[in-house]
Amino acid sequence: MATLTLPKHSLPSLLPSQTPRTPFSQSLSFVSKSSQSQFFGLTFSFSSNLPIPSSTPAKTSIVAKVNKGQVPPSFTLKDQDGKTVSLSKFKGKPVVVYFYPADETPGCTKQACAFRDSYEKFKKAGAEVVGISGDDTSSHKAFAKKYKLPYTLLSDEGNKVRKEWGVPSDLFGTLPGRQTYVLDKKGEVQLVYNNQFQPEKHIDETLKLLQSL
Amino acid sequence: MAILPHHKYPLRSLEHVPTCHHPSWSRARVTCSATTTTSTKPMSNPDQLIIEPRLDRLVTTPSLLVTPTSSPSTSSRNTSPLLNDPNWLSTWSHRAWVATGCTTVLISLAKSMVAAANSHIWLEPMLAGYIGYILSDLGSGVYHWGIDNYGDASTPIFGSQIEAFQGHHKWPWIITRRQFANNLHALARAITFVVLPIDILCDDPTLQGFVGVCSGCIMFSQQFHAWAHGTKSKLPPPVVALQEAGVLVSRMQHSAHHRQPYNNNYCIVSGIWNEFLDKQKVFEALEMVLFFKLGVRPRSWCEPISDWTEETETPSPVH
Repeated sequence: MATLTLPKHSLPSLLPSQTPRTPFSQSLSFVSKSSQSQFFGLTFSFSSNLPIPSSTPAKTSIVAKVNKGQVPPSFTLKDQDGKTVSLSKFKGKPVVVYFYPADETPGCTKQACAFRDSYEKFKKAGAEVVGISGDDTSSHKAFAKKYKLPYTLLSDEGNKVRKEWGVPSDLFGTLPGRQTYVLDKKGEVQLVYNNQFQPEKHIDETLKLLQSL
Repeated sequence: MAILPHHKYPLRSLEHVPTCHHPSWSRARVTCSATTTTSTKPMSNPDQLIIEPRLDRLVTTPSLLVTPTSSPSTSSRNTSPLLNDPNWLSTWSHRAWVATGCTTVLISLAKSMVAAANSHIWLEPMLAGYIGYILSDLGSGVYHWGIDNYGDASTPIFGSQIEAFQGHHKWPWIITRRQFANNLHALARAITFVVLPIDILCDDPTLQGFVGVCSGCIMFSQQFHAWAHGTKSKLPPPVVALQEAGVLVSRMQHSAHHRQPYNNNYCIVSGIWNEFLDKQKVFEALEMVLFFKLGVRPRSWCEPISDWTEETETPSPVH
């Protein structure tokens, strides 16, 4: 069952109306990843590799993004030191994966510093924190160094993982979304929290959830 | 202050996003730097906070500080201001522009009233005038935000304004020392060019009501701004009353704009929009969109904001 928290802080006249994102319990996760487009939370994937035989060469299928209760697609990305990090590395312990727009922007800095300041609480809960944005490793290195961030920042160049996980964009697609996932020890998503303009709330919500795991 | 490199969000990955036109210069990496843009020295980083290609400046920057009889160290505009700078006096050119600006506004208001009287309608033009007053505040905020955060002294058309606004942040009290026409002439000039054609071409009382009030408020916003920097004891009592009633931007509200992080309370007519715009983070959202679409960082993102930090070494004149 997916529970997607809608952004609590929205611009009534600027943001599109936030419609509840309909979860799909049976996601066609085996569909190959090709071009995708987002429409009200549903990912339309155009692929020619469907297992279902079809007379037409290409079929349109609907693939749900990562929802609560699902195991998200794995990734292997480089961290701020250039080392390769896979999601599977964190199996066996809870992990907070937070997607943020970009290094050195006010909201992202606030969020990163908030995660830093509460890092001990996350460690106490046995959880790891991983931040992901489209910036490259050198940007992450400088960002982490400047703000003394004690956790991993991963470079999702090309935003492939962001798209695979179905992180929605904001403001009619002009802004990369700010969405946080909490994965339990089994690697299943237990919380999906989205809030672009109140970044510190991500820390509160994730800690609240971790304390109940 | 370290210059921090930054990589723009790769736009090509947003395949589902309606494509936007991106001029090739927008992909330049933009960095924050502590170098002041009020200096006469050439910019060390040509990509810094510029959203338009560099062209020769079309407008001569009115000097904030430099006078012909200044001390030997004052060839740069970073020098502390004199307490009575002749550049703060109004010239006949300033007065002429203020006169033309006022004339166009008065013509607009007069046409509105005459047409309203002839048509026996009052509510629509008055309502339009009120809406003009409300929207002028919003307009002042958007313009102020843009000028405070983007471009520099070499930006075409706006360069002198940008430099003046940055100087204002360094020495906020100077605005209270400028003479009336000196303070308003730049806005009056813009209003003249915009409102004169409307005066000539438009006879509708409602539209003229909107235009007259809106343009008048915009033109006088610099005066309201100056009053917002005044001290209560020195301001005319009616002005204080209007500030306290929320009709004009209050001193307290505007002073918040001159404190860290310098990213709020941009509106300077009545300030009625400030709470909404700040609470809803409208300008923050716009800054993020401009950053991701054009690769430009607003000045308010750079720390420490040496260009804006009020200079406290210079004693401000006792009011």
